[in-house]
Amino acid sequence: MNGSHNSMLKNSLEVYTGAMAIYQKDYRDEGGYDYLIYDNAKIFTILEKENGVKEFTSRVETYGIASTDDESSAMMLTGIDFKKESKISKLKTALKSGIYDSSGACLYMGESLAKKLSLKLQDEVSFVGTAIDYSFVADIFKLCGTFKTGMYEFDSSSAFLNRAYFDELFYAQNTSSYIAVSVNELKQSDLIAKNISKKLPQDTKVYTWQELMKAMVELMKVDSIFGYISMGLFFLVIFFVIMIYGFINVSSRIKEFGTLKSIGISDRDIDTLLFYEIIILTLSAVIIAMPSSAYLAYYFELHPFVIEGISEIYKDYGIISDEIPTSFDLFTIAWNTLVIVVLNILSIIYPIYYVRRFTPIEAMRHV
Amino acid sequence: MYKTIINIALKNAYLRKSRAILLILMISLSMGVMLSIEGLYDGLAANMIDKSKRSDSGEISIYAKEYRENKDMKFNIKNTQDIITELKSIDGVSSVVSRFSIQGLSQSATKSYPSSLVGVDFEDEEVFGKFSEFVEVGDLNLGKRGCAIGKELAKNLKLHLGSKVIFTARDAHGDIQSIMFRIKAIINSTNITIDNQTIFTNKSRVLSYAGVAQNTSTQIAIRTASNSCITIIKDKFQNYDAKDFKELNPMLKQMQDMMKIFNKVTFFIVMFVVFIGILGVMYVSILDRVREFGIMLALGYKYTYIRTQVIFEALFLGLGGFVFGSILGFILLYILKHHGLDLSKFADGMASFGMANILYANIKLIYFTSSFFAIIFASILSVFLPLKKIKNLNPTEVIKADS
Repeated sequence: MNGSHNSMLKNSLEVYTGAMAIYQKDYRDEGGYDYLIYDNAKIFTILEKENGVKEFTSRVETYGIASTDDESSAMMLTGIDFKKESKISKLKTALKSGIYDSSGACLYMGESLAKKLSLKLQDEVSFVGTAIDYSFVADIFKLCGTFKTGMYEFDSSSAFLNRAYFDELFYAQNTSSYIAVSVNELKQSDLIAKNISKKLPQDTKVYTWQELMKAMVELMKVDSIFGYISMGLFFLVIFFVIMIYGFINVSSRIKEFGTLKSIGISDRDIDTLLFYEIIILTLSAVIIAMPSSAYLAYYFELHPFVIEGISEIYKDYGIISDEIPTSFDLFTIAWNTLVIVVLNILSIIYPIYYVRRFTPIEAMRHV
Repeated sequence: MYKTIINIALKNAYLRKSRAILLILMISLSMGVMLSIEGLYDGLAANMIDKSKRSDSGEISIYAKEYRENKDMKFNIKNTQDIITELKSIDGVSSVVSRFSIQGLSQSATKSYPSSLVGVDFEDEEVFGKFSEFVEVGDLNLGKRGCAIGKELAKNLKLHLGSKVIFTARDAHGDIQSIMFRIKAIINSTNITIDNQTIFTNKSRVLSYAGVAQNTSTQIAIRTASNSCITIIKDKFQNYDAKDFKELNPMLKQMQDMMKIFNKVTFFIVMFVVFIGILGVMYVSILDRVREFGIMLALGYKYTYIRTQVIFEALFLGLGGFVFGSILGFILLYILKHHGLDLSKFADGMASFGMANILYANIKLIYFTSSFFAIIFASILSVFLPLKKIKNLNPTEVIKADS
């Protein structure tokens, strides 16, 4: 469960989103050109000095209609710095044809969108949209490269243009829809975001990947809930089986406990004896189970399950890989082991209570 | 004779009350939780499939060839009315709707988003899939310039009831055209294609906007309860692209299959552990009474009678667990069916995968019957090993050894 979640998240973050993004405060709620970042340089200076920040880049997004002689389609056109973008996202490695780092009126377009528009490399496509000052923009671009990230919606609606040309065309100099940031350690993103927030202008806000990928994070939580319910069911039946066997073990030794009690061994000592017995059994089981299960988790992390075609079927949902890896996580192994140990210890409570009910004479006469 | 054996078995099964209660508790709790999970997963998949059929594909949909690959309105069905008439004449077809869809760009005052404009006849849609039930806010009296918009699309465009939305696309003549709507209803169908990117309005308006004839459509969707009807339609409309629900929604079908597999694996694991539990109890119960069985054999009691008695003992224990497990499972399923599992806290995540915020469970007789047979099977299987022990007994030695 953890492995597939991590994999989905990692794929989505690495492909385009990044670990965090800096927006003008109302951009995500209100949207539009009124809520852009109008001073990139100031934020870049802050980010350059921040420990833990790996790379950052500015993006300007706009929507419009792209048309060829026969076809039209809605398109998200994004102005990017191709060099910086290659360090923060997987756009460069997603190249399918043509070139990635183009200049002038050259588009780097999602393969599905190019197909929808019946475009081949070097074909021309017109774009009609709105500039940052809300003036009308229309231009003719050349298709210089196509990409395929596997994220269906993204590939069928996105195209990228180098910042120099984009800025000139859309009046977007020193402007961003947002600044995408990658970090050295994803686990540190909350802390880094907090540090950056303190230094940023007050009208900007840092969104971490948990907020940027809210829907996916929530979906994983739901999946985890169902996973934990199922695990709870397994733990429940395992607990009862251990308890039943513990109880059978104790109930068949009532005479023995009667003898022990009659020679002066206290109930507390018998409790301790039973407790030690269950601890020895539990540790024996853990010694066998923990390394073998850890090995399996490690093995399937290195050699994930592959379900051919799953990414194609689930493409609308952002699944971009057929691999379903496990996660070799020492913490997960530790807490699962701990749960089993606790269940084993709990399972001896009723048998202890059962033994305590007998007086020495009753116990010795027990059949 | 068998009446006596059954009576003895019943008494013996519950002779050691603590053991019996523990075993029944284990079976009933695990069965109760297992049935709840099974019902909830089934309910989740059934709900997604039902809403997808009602809001979009029906049991089968007909498209013009190449439409589904290109999503281009030039691949359309021209003689819609004739096809509808022909479809309605087929036995088993309960309702038919036609739709016309255009891909384009929706714009609010501040935002733009790729989307689809779908022209429908709302009266037909009501018969087809109770479309009004998908309306979260507003109503379907759209008037001249009204539209209904998918919930997520409205959210992305920062639109609400009464807002204006402009849709821009290329018409049939190759000209870029825009059309303005006022939002009269917001749709929450849990079908992500609709909720994320669809604007609905009256079909005649969309056809005029697109510049195509009124008898044109891009999809004809059919509701039917009959599988043979699907085959007939596929055969009859071979010049078109006629696809059934499973072909149109492989993801939903696969999700349902995966849930079934998961339920079966869970079922198998739980029943295996139940088997281990019964085996332990029965084994010890028999070992405790080896001398008793030795005496019975010495008195001329046949082994087959002992076997029957032991099997019945295990069955009584298993059935005790089944009865309480069924009651618990039914109560949990009943609560989940009528009150549901509220996951509104994760609304965005649920919506992104086309799931409703509140999940309702299904209750099917098969849950109980399959558990019944599995428990019977586990109970009978669990006594084989202990019975082997009895079968090999030498009565004289056993009586001597224990005396």
